[in-house]
Amino acid sequence: MENPNIVLLGNPNVGKTSLFNRLTKLNQKVGNYPGITVEKREGSLKANNKTYHIVDLPGTYTLFPNSLDEEIVFKILSQKENKLSPNLTIVVAEPSTIKRGIILYQQARELGLPAIFVLNMIDEVESKGIHLDFPKLEAYLKTKVFQTNARTGKGLEKLISSFDERPSLYTSNFEIPEKYKEALEEAKKLFPLATEYLTWQYLAQENVSYLAPEKQVALAAIRSKYQLDPHEMQKTESLLRHDRISMDLENILNKSENKTLDTTSKIDRILLHPILGYIIFFGLLFLIFQAIFSWSGPLMDWIDGSFGELTGYLSTVLPEGPLSSLFIEGIIAGIGGIVIFIPQIVILFLFLSLMEESGYMSRVVFLMDRWLRPFGLNGKSVIPLMSGAACAIPAVMSARNIENPKERLLTMLVTPFMTCSARLPIYIVIIGLIIPEDKFLGFNLQGITLFMMYILGIVGALGSAWILNRVIKSIRSSYLIFELPTYKMPDWKNVMTNVWDKASGFLWEAGKIILMISIVLWVFGNFGPNRKFYDAEEIVQQANPNLSAEELEKEVGSYRLEHSFLGYIGMGLEPIVRPLGYDWKMGIGLISSFAAREVFVGTMAVVYSMGPDVDIEDEGQKSSLLTRMKSEINANTGKPAYNFASGISLLLFYAFAMQCMATIGVVRKETGSWKWTLIQTVFMTGLAYVAALIAYQILK
Amino acid sequence: MPQNISLDKLKIGDIAKINAIQSIEIPAKFYELGFYPGSIIEVKHKAPLNGPICVNVVENNALIAIRKSEAKFITAVII
Repeated sequence: MENPNIVLLGNPNVGKTSLFNRLTKLNQKVGNYPGITVEKREGSLKANNKTYHIVDLPGTYTLFPNSLDEEIVFKILSQKENKLSPNLTIVVAEPSTIKRGIILYQQARELGLPAIFVLNMIDEVESKGIHLDFPKLEAYLKTKVFQTNARTGKGLEKLISSFDERPSLYTSNFEIPEKYKEALEEAKKLFPLATEYLTWQYLAQENVSYLAPEKQVALAAIRSKYQLDPHEMQKTESLLRHDRISMDLENILNKSENKTLDTTSKIDRILLHPILGYIIFFGLLFLIFQAIFSWSGPLMDWIDGSFGELTGYLSTVLPEGPLSSLFIEGIIAGIGGIVIFIPQIVILFLFLSLMEESGYMSRVVFLMDRWLRPFGLNGKSVIPLMSGAACAIPAVMSARNIENPKERLLTMLVTPFMTCSARLPIYIVIIGLIIPEDKFLGFNLQGITLFMMYILGIVGALGSAWILNRVIKSIRSSYLIFELPTYKMPDWKNVMTNVWDKASGFLWEAGKIILMISIVLWVFGNFGPNRKFYDAEEIVQQANPNLSAEELEKEVGSYRLEHSFLGYIGMGLEPIVRPLGYDWKMGIGLISSFAAREVFVGTMAVVYSMGPDVDIEDEGQKSSLLTRMKSEINANTGKPAYNFASGISLLLFYAFAMQCMATIGVVRKETGSWKWTLIQTVFMTGLAYVAALIAYQILK
Repeated sequence: MPQNISLDKLKIGDIAKINAIQSIEIPAKFYELGFYPGSIIEVKHKAPLNGPICVNVVENNALIAIRKSEAKFITAVII
């Protein structure tokens, strides 16, 4: 075998990801927007004169899938033609929950997979008062048992050197109860090549989506003929295995009095306190947002300054002409517009990943479940909703570990309402235009408005969930069960890898779209359909012969813009945006934002003939774009384009509208349905339009 | 004669042995994480206003949280 496939299988919180990071070092590749709940993390390891391909499967307690994550696990392990189908399965367990690990190991072996058993966090064996007889355990499991500590790297060399050994033959530990035997015999005929246990799995799951339709129908027929209840079968298996393992381990595993929960208990007494727990959680949220805004400032300024210098330098060295201006103003400035978000995203994911790694995130789920339930959500929805404050794309993906399909769908549908980092520059510009820099009760009025926009995002998300909860029918009853892991010091390797994945994922995926839009905008703004665009200078000069050179240049610029493709598109859209209080130029900003919100500020800068690289952090330029926008007159009303009414209307529109191609794409992928994706887009954008319309008509 | 009591009625600090699971609606995942007849649990935390409860499954020494709506179908005897 040239490149043997190895998969890591195990319960959540056994240090599987640490082990994966240790084994693959940095030779790993991840999906576009991975999270703790990745679809697949794969990496490679060169050893024993081979290159091993290693996949870190999502954590699972059993092979019976309850969530999308777990479905992936079952599919990879059981589908022989799957390209990730393992040559070797490494089952990772930790001392306290070794019995659960053994159940998973037995299930894997009975599927017909060669597997070895790794007992990770071996350093905790002593302190947890556990005594294991390893030779007996190896004999019982009929495989080698490796003792590792993935944090220090202990035991890894030995593990790697045994990658080519295959465990001895295995006989099933699970006696299928008599009452199911007849049904099983019938099912076996459908799958002559499968092991008995795999057939049992097929029979004991409600639906195995990867099987051919006729096999699914045949299985369903057997289930109804023998009146089989898949849940009942799964429970029966679980009980039989538990009893058997407890019996079998009696002279292998010995537990003395256990003290390790003490520290966790003490911390939990504070962090899960009915009042204090919430104060600490909201305090932490406040700290995170404070960090995002204040810590990222200098970095963002630095990035922006560097890009400013780069474009300045390039424009002096490159020959003048449309192509170099596409390169400088379109592409380089477009990339600058993406990179500037990186510090905020890094800081947010640093916190989220620390919360996850330390074990605190499960406590948040515990605290918040009761408050999210009335909205049809689940405690686990907290993670997508919080991540949504950085970027909806990884946030939507992190909804994968929500078991209930309806709660998962609702979470994905409402997460894009959360104020993501792309909305921030728009809010800052518009708030700067319409809200005076006064103090209210000692607080900065603009700051209060920005805070209100965040609240509005949360209200939008929860309110929509509340409405959708009434509309969407649930197929399965809702339940919640999750483990609260013991508190641990975060594994910095995991934290860093996770943050790196998130940041680079954002850079590439969002980057592609912003880049594309920048180029399209540039092209549409720099070419026109008729001679009015190309002969702008002559036409303007003839109309206003007395203009100074500087004024002339300005007038020509705006005349040209009006007669570019972009201008004509904007004029065509005007009837739609006029009731909201916008003119055609703002309409263009709005439309280009449907690709990604973050292009708004750049677009407005292009439209107001300022060059697209507008730095809203930089005071000098900020005031000049602001001055320009402030003095802009709406051609329809004759009033300032950005007055209080149209400004509020714009803020509302950006708060609610689904203006992000990448999010639409990821929702489509994650829901597997165009229907829900369209409903979401129409619902959000419709809500945005109505809210903006009402606000403008009342305030104007 | 010890009284059967459903898990949602237990108080923090109560240690109990599960003896039955009253609903077929309870998914197999509950069994897998330690809510099966014979399993011993200790109630550790309760979220306010009928929020979830958190118990220690003694067998695995693991903290598991479940909602009261499911807890009321799981009966146990205080030991």
